[in-house]
Amino acid sequence: MNDNELSSLVRESVADIRSSTPVDQIISRGHAVRAWRRRVPAAAGALVMAGGAALGVTVLAPSGHPAPTAAGKAGSHPAVVGLAAWTVAKQANGDIDVTIKQFQHPAQLQATLRADGLPASVSFSGHPDSAVCQPYRNAGPNLNRSIYASFYLASNGSYFLTIHPSLLPSGVGLSITVEKIKVKGLSGPAVALRQVYASLQCTG
Amino acid sequence: MVVRTQQQDFAEFYRSAADECLRTVAVSIGDQGTAQELVDEAFARAWASWRTVSRHPAPEAWVVRTALNAGISRWRRRRREVSVPDPARAADLPAASEASASQVDPQIMAALMRLPARQREVVALRLILDLDTARTAEVLGIAPGTVMAHMGRAMAALRLDLQPELQQENRS
Repeated sequence: MNDNELSSLVRESVADIRSSTPVDQIISRGHAVRAWRRRVPAAAGALVMAGGAALGVTVLAPSGHPAPTAAGKAGSHPAVVGLAAWTVAKQANGDIDVTIKQFQHPAQLQATLRADGLPASVSFSGHPDSAVCQPYRNAGPNLNRSIYASFYLASNGSYFLTIHPSLLPSGVGLSITVEKIKVKGLSGPAVALRQVYASLQCTG
Repeated sequence: MVVRTQQQDFAEFYRSAADECLRTVAVSIGDQGTAQELVDEAFARAWASWRTVSRHPAPEAWVVRTALNAGISRWRRRRREVSVPDPARAADLPAASEASASQVDPQIMAALMRLPARQREVVALRLILDLDTARTAEVLGIAPGTVMAHMGRAMAALRLDLQPELQQENRS
């Protein structure tokens, strides 16, 4: 068998694989990606104008939205809360969009997520004590997919994730940590998400 | 009107390139279902940046690179949650056996899965997406000489792996 025959064999073996996704669906998803990209710079621009808020957290209040009293106070912060390091945006449907640009101010991020109704534990300096935050044993790939509906590393190094709190099983929260990983010879930090049993000590 | 034209351009590109991009990613990662998700996401990002991507010398290569990068990101976050398939048993995996029933030759897919990941990516880009050595090197971020070396080793391994089966087929 020469190279040409082998090449043809490989090509023919996958010739019946065809994409099943309609182009309209792709374009619709592309519009959502565009909207997301527009939202992040807009938030960054507002950040400059509103700099110096209490606790180092800059609060971005959309027009018509009640002004916040304190960042991280339960139920009181507006739809979008952001630092230079990260941004949290709660959508009308309850989804929470998180952008992490720098691994800083984990306590404020944790408080913001909890204020948005998400039982969360955030640590950028190692894992929370496993005796305090117990991993949720029944988590599976499908469940994870529904929670991390959109999670990707942008070319600028930012992490984007969309969390659906309503899809979390009762009594379960999220642990957000940073881990050093190595992929194909390249090493660096990466965001790691785990489902954990919600408790006062772990997820508030 | 301009937007409509761009959308038509993109739709035409999608229709012409989607199948080959999907095949390339499916062979690279060995899972057709995941490949479909990654390629869909990559095409969505291509549409979101269509002004730039449309001027790329090989937009389909951009899509495949984006899909493979998304796959690495996905692997990073799920590596503790999903077991890695044993290449030696690829033919026994549900995804492979499902595919074999309808779309993919199980013996050839199993032989491809037994290749190291980088060799498989090179084979997919060179043979299925029909990229030349230079473009393949660019997509994978490696030297053209390395692409040729991977391709040579992959072809030798595939030939060795598939030869007995082909001979058996010819006899029968």
